Amino acid sequence: MSEASLTYVYGLTRAAAPLPEEPGVDDRPLRMLRLGALGAVVSDVPAAEFAEDALRGHFEDLGWLERVARRHDAVVQACHRAGVAMPLRLATIYVDDVSAEQRLAEIAADVERTLDRLDGCDEWGVKFFDSPASQSPSAPPEPTPSTSGADYLRRRQAEMMRSGEAAASAAVRADSVYRALAKHAVADTRHRPQDPKLAGRREPMLLNAAFLVRRADTHTFRAAAAELAGHHLEEAIVLTGPWAPYSFAGTTG
Amino acid sequence: MTAVERRELPAQQASLVDLLDRLLGVGVVLSGDVTISLAGVDLVTVKLRALITSVREPE
Repeated sequence: MSEASLTYVYGLTRAAAPLPEEPGVDDRPLRMLRLGALGAVVSDVPAAEFAEDALRGHFEDLGWLERVARRHDAVVQACHRAGVAMPLRLATIYVDDVSAEQRLAEIAADVERTLDRLDGCDEWGVKFFDSPASQSPSAPPEPTPSTSGADYLRRRQAEMMRSGEAAASAAVRADSVYRALAKHAVADTRHRPQDPKLAGRREPMLLNAAFLVRRADTHTFRAAAAELAGHHLEEAIVLTGPWAPYSFAGTTG
Repeated sequence: MTAVERRELPAQQASLVDLLDRLLGVGVVLSGDVTISLAGVDLVTVKLRALITSVREPE
């Protein structure tokens, strides 16, 4: 008896695009479902591992999550390098090829528009971290024994004012970095800043942005990022990429 | 290239968190005739819990 399998969809592309020479999740071979001018890059996955209940458990397992995410990304990046790819979310799964094709037929017009919009572009990630100095309290917090309640309140108010001003100025600096880079991009979006524990730095992340940049504008964009980094020596600007256009794959975007 | 060619910011290795920002947070969900319907919000919550738990374990 053959085991039950489901259809895992990595991304959408044009039907004429070559199938990447990458293995899929769990080393399953990739296949291309073609529907008119569109193609969906898929592979079979075992139902026992990818059905909803199993999946909920697996998403709590960081090792499993990383393995599937890295493989998903390798396939999507290969499609992106070979032509134009519209990445799908991790674990986009159908009962079978027929139901995947039906869904693709329903959204075909949107997908074609999105592929046209993404063609010739890469995604670049830009993270902006506050300066380490922002994390060390400037005023000694030790209260002196003679301090009156009124003194304490005054000092506390001044502290709160300072930290409010610092937060506002951080937001202004993050916005200015974002706007400066957006000038060199065809689209831009902001992800939620990562928790400092996840980002692996003590300084708060002020900006977690993604930019869709034409390949012809790559140098201009990266040079603009270098120039901004030169203006923000206290803070840190971190560039990642080139990514497949994950952050711009929404059909409504 | 000319002498005025400006320097580029080097790209750093993307972390798993950077990848998950993209793979879970956005993109298209082909909902509809699907057996597995995990809401995007649920996935992000689950993901962050798994990650934060794992990162904080040494404490």
